[in-house]
Amino acid sequence: MLLIQQLLNGVMLGSVYVTVAVAFTLTIGVLNFLNFTIPTLFMLSGMGAWALAKWGLPFGLTGPFPWPLALGGAVVMTIAASLVVERFTFRYMKAKYGDATEHAIPLVSSLGFLLIIENLIRIGYGTDPQRMDAISWDTTINLDGLLLRAPQLISLAVALAIVAGLTWVLKHSRIGRGLRAIAENPDAANILGVDSKRLVPVIFMLTGLLCGLAGILFAINYGEVSPGMGEEIGSKAIAGMVIGGLGSIWGAVLGGLIIGIAEMLTVHFFGADTVQVVVWGLLLAALFVRPQGLLGHHSIGKGKL
Amino acid sequence: MLLEVRGLDVRYGRNHAVKSLDLHVAEGEIVTVLGANGAGKTSLLRALQGAVRPASGSIRLAGHELAQATPAERVRRGMALVPEGRQIFVSMSVHENLLMGAYLRKDGDWTRDVDEVYDRFPNLAERRDMKASVLSGGEQQMLAIGRALVSRPRLIMLDEPSLGLSPLFVTNLFDLIGELNRSGISILLVEQNTGMALDVARRGYVLELGQVVLSDEAQALAGNSALTQAYLGGGHAAAS
Repeated sequence: MLLIQQLLNGVMLGSVYVTVAVAFTLTIGVLNFLNFTIPTLFMLSGMGAWALAKWGLPFGLTGPFPWPLALGGAVVMTIAASLVVERFTFRYMKAKYGDATEHAIPLVSSLGFLLIIENLIRIGYGTDPQRMDAISWDTTINLDGLLLRAPQLISLAVALAIVAGLTWVLKHSRIGRGLRAIAENPDAANILGVDSKRLVPVIFMLTGLLCGLAGILFAINYGEVSPGMGEEIGSKAIAGMVIGGLGSIWGAVLGGLIIGIAEMLTVHFFGADTVQVVVWGLLLAALFVRPQGLLGHHSIGKGKL
Repeated sequence: MLLEVRGLDVRYGRNHAVKSLDLHVAEGEIVTVLGANGAGKTSLLRALQGAVRPASGSIRLAGHELAQATPAERVRRGMALVPEGRQIFVSMSVHENLLMGAYLRKDGDWTRDVDEVYDRFPNLAERRDMKASVLSGGEQQMLAIGRALVSRPRLIMLDEPSLGLSPLFVTNLFDLIGELNRSGISILLVEQNTGMALDVARRGYVLELGQVVLSDEAQALAGNSALTQAYLGGGHAAAS
């Protein structure tokens, strides 16, 4: 019974990884760029939800926000931050140095954003983890001894719904076709009149949305946020993305869930100390056996969505 | 005048790919641009479609200055480029590729244009929902041309469309170019297949090192074998 409980916990943890892994996949798939601000955006959302609920807007502009407003506000703030990153990292570099997607420049500048935002938060709120107050609708469902918390179930449902919606948009909408065209062949897309200056911000908005949701889901589920919360989630999400297959959104879903479950099972059988070894060992083994990932294509690098 | 190009310069860093080039295409004309590899033909077409910004010069389509316009603006004004190597989206279905041609269409009529492409190319209709990667080279060329047609262009620019096609398909292709022209579309054709190109075109330009060295009626160019040989034959030998 405890094992099944751990499996369930793994799925719940995995749903946070899934959401972040899909954000990574989207940027890599369309822009060929590993966006290092993703873990920061995730942290920003979690810390933002906590700060809005506890203090409200900074400088005493407002009092504490009620829960729904704090969570929604955190997501909006994360999307805005992601657009700022696009404006001053990706677009600026691209205009100045030509096709920045060919270079490591956005990768490095996004790393700069990561460190600056993270340290600003540390300066503002300190390094210590912060407890989130319990949410009024945090009820526990007892299913024959298996404990399921309502927020966890909602998290999982929201994560899957977002991913399913995203896949539908990419497959069937005009914007989705434009994004896939840029992903496969930016030059041909450009010739046909697909304006990447307009579509690239869409990717960053979606990245902000996914990270924002993941951040508040994490905050609700674990009741604790900290300025460093993005680091481990970020690396696990990258591992999930790679195991699932670079460029495949459903691969990121599968990979994120596998990492989450593997982590909880490792805790169950070997204890918490061995988690890192097992998770990263799993990643290396997966890369060795199936370098393109479980659902990935052989043609890593082009046309990946 | 449908397309009027004056003093066009294209540079890639130090490489001066197109040098103060003048060229025009009248409404309803087929005009061909010939030249050896590296003469600047592809750079010219890419600058005309806006894939590269020209360093200087004027590009007018039906009187509208487009030299600094975005590719989207040029597509809206009626220019379409069928790029070298076709550049279809192999991860998309045949149908999705055609929809990419209609990407900027705001009017509701584009579905009719897609249907017309299927009528013209039954092979594409049969493979509508298949990945474009399964198409043969000739079918991929049809798809690239069909994709351009769906944007309802006034001027289609074709970059080496016969490259890599079987002789039978090349004949079909040039028949198609003539047909499209008769349906009212003006055509700017870049080709290495000099004989076929001069056969279908009304006028031609010969490029060398980014400059127009010859321009004349297609028949006159075809008759002037010594001159064309000097520019085209020599380039072929050097390239191969």
